[in-house]
Amino acid sequence: MLENDRRDPFEDRLGAALRDAGDGFEADRAALVTAGRVRGRRALLRRRTAVVGGVAGVALAGVGGALVLPADDQAAPARSTAASAGTPNGEATAAAAVFTGDDLLRELKGLLPRGTYGEESGRGSDHQLGPAAHLVYDDGAGAAAIGMGFARVEPGSAQARQLAACPDHNGTPYADCTSDRLPDGSTLRLYQGYEYPDLRVDTKLWTADLVTAEGQHVSVSEWNSPAEKGAPVSRDEPPLSTERLRTLVTAGVWREVVDAIPKKPKPSRSTAPRPELPEVSGESVGDTLAALLPGKLDVVARGGQEFEYAYVIVDDGKGRSLVQVNVQYGMADGAGQVYAGGEILPDGTRLVTRQEPGEKAGSGVVMWTVDTLRPGPEGFRVVISAFNTGDQNKDATRDAPVLSMEQLRGIALSEQWDALR
Amino acid sequence: MRQGRADEYAEFAVARAGHLYRSACLLTAGDTHLAEDLVQETFGRLYVRWGRVSRAENPAAYAQTVLTRAFLAHQRRRSSGERATDVFPDLPGAGDGDASLRLTLLDALARLPAKDRAVVVLRYWDDRSVEQTADVLGVSSAAVRTRCSRALGRLRDLLGEDLSEYARP
Repeated sequence: MLENDRRDPFEDRLGAALRDAGDGFEADRAALVTAGRVRGRRALLRRRTAVVGGVAGVALAGVGGALVLPADDQAAPARSTAASAGTPNGEATAAAAVFTGDDLLRELKGLLPRGTYGEESGRGSDHQLGPAAHLVYDDGAGAAAIGMGFARVEPGSAQARQLAACPDHNGTPYADCTSDRLPDGSTLRLYQGYEYPDLRVDTKLWTADLVTAEGQHVSVSEWNSPAEKGAPVSRDEPPLSTERLRTLVTAGVWREVVDAIPKKPKPSRSTAPRPELPEVSGESVGDTLAALLPGKLDVVARGGQEFEYAYVIVDDGKGRSLVQVNVQYGMADGAGQVYAGGEILPDGTRLVTRQEPGEKAGSGVVMWTVDTLRPGPEGFRVVISAFNTGDQNKDATRDAPVLSMEQLRGIALSEQWDALR
Repeated sequence: MRQGRADEYAEFAVARAGHLYRSACLLTAGDTHLAEDLVQETFGRLYVRWGRVSRAENPAAYAQTVLTRAFLAHQRRRSSGERATDVFPDLPGAGDGDASLRLTLLDALARLPAKDRAVVVLRYWDDRSVEQTADVLGVSSAAVRTRCSRALGRLRDLLGEDLSEYARP
């Protein structure tokens, strides 16, 4: 103290209390220092380099989205499209700090072990499709593609939980997956799987997805090949170990990148306010589906997602058959297209049926679908599909699915689904 | 930045990050997100001026000054009359009895005007003299004394009972 004034005891107590209170706050020092350096560097550079677009979009299309339960995009294409449309559009408001694509690449390279780089492309934090970085990295043992994606998710939302959850083994073969909660409240999923679920090419895909308590989503993907698809395998495994992936994805600077993504603009007056739609629990979907199956079928496995989706694998003694159901709200918007050429039932329910080849790798697989939309503004949709295999990635195990189109129709239109509304 | 200088900066930043962050948490009355932002901003500015900062007599004090000014600049940008924090601060690892005192203290800090809070933090957390505090804030010593006595009076009203048993030196 340089102060000569005599302090009263209250001042001493205040000092002690402040020290105690201050000591209760623990900093992630490395993250603060890194983020500070980024700001300083950016302030020094200030010259904005042009954002690299175009090509990056192709290479990065899979980053972040690829692992969100592949089973879902099969039964509910409309929903998948809606989900990916969540990126801010051109009217987005400006964010305070901006990362250019080059900033991202520079940071990424700074966090990788020594090696050589090629095919670099990056999108800045204000890019319409969201920030991303992609490069081909070679540590000397073979060129490998590495991609990063960034997004904001609602903390605690179904999407955030889904990013933290390891996929169901059914339909997505993978070698290993762990999901942990970190001391700062983030969730970290480390996944080791394959680019092609049917393993027809041995391209491995390893990913790390970090979702912070604030909803910052950072994802890293790496392959043991210089390209996601269409290039031969260059090495046994992707270059970064799980531990390295963890270090890379948790680096503090990436959270700043997510924060720099412009916030979505407030809805304009012309956009009608859309009330929050309820979500149907996956468990109740599964229960309802199981209850509606003909009694003679053995249910050999069950599974699904936290919301909207459930499947059963049934066996009638002549081979396994996968039956899956999506129950969703808010599907009225795209109804014109989805149900074009279908029926409109007396109560206003729209219904369309499809019998088509399976969308995944299994040979000879067929997928029979009955897709229904209940009348009403909430857009309540029940869509059921049955396959002539217990695993879409494996070959057909029987000629036809275990349920006939008529049975599928009966299940989809059952009033029991309305009990979930 | 040359490598040697960059290393020196990194070493300094890592060493000071904890203290600066805690200072920022007190300045923001427990708004840890804003505190992180302020510390990052501070490090950013130090990075830009590192050549000069490293030659300063007391780089740590300089960093504290930059942080305090960044905080006040932030407060000025906010609409006047807004309370500094409207959420209860998140206190990791706080013990039961102490936790409530910390909350009470942070809540009391939040009720002070930003500049008064800065005076309290500089004087009683950072142990700066009145003159040093005046330098940081760019005001006269008299103004610091006025603010300080006003802030103490307010804190005494808000905390008198709670701090009375706080006998530690």
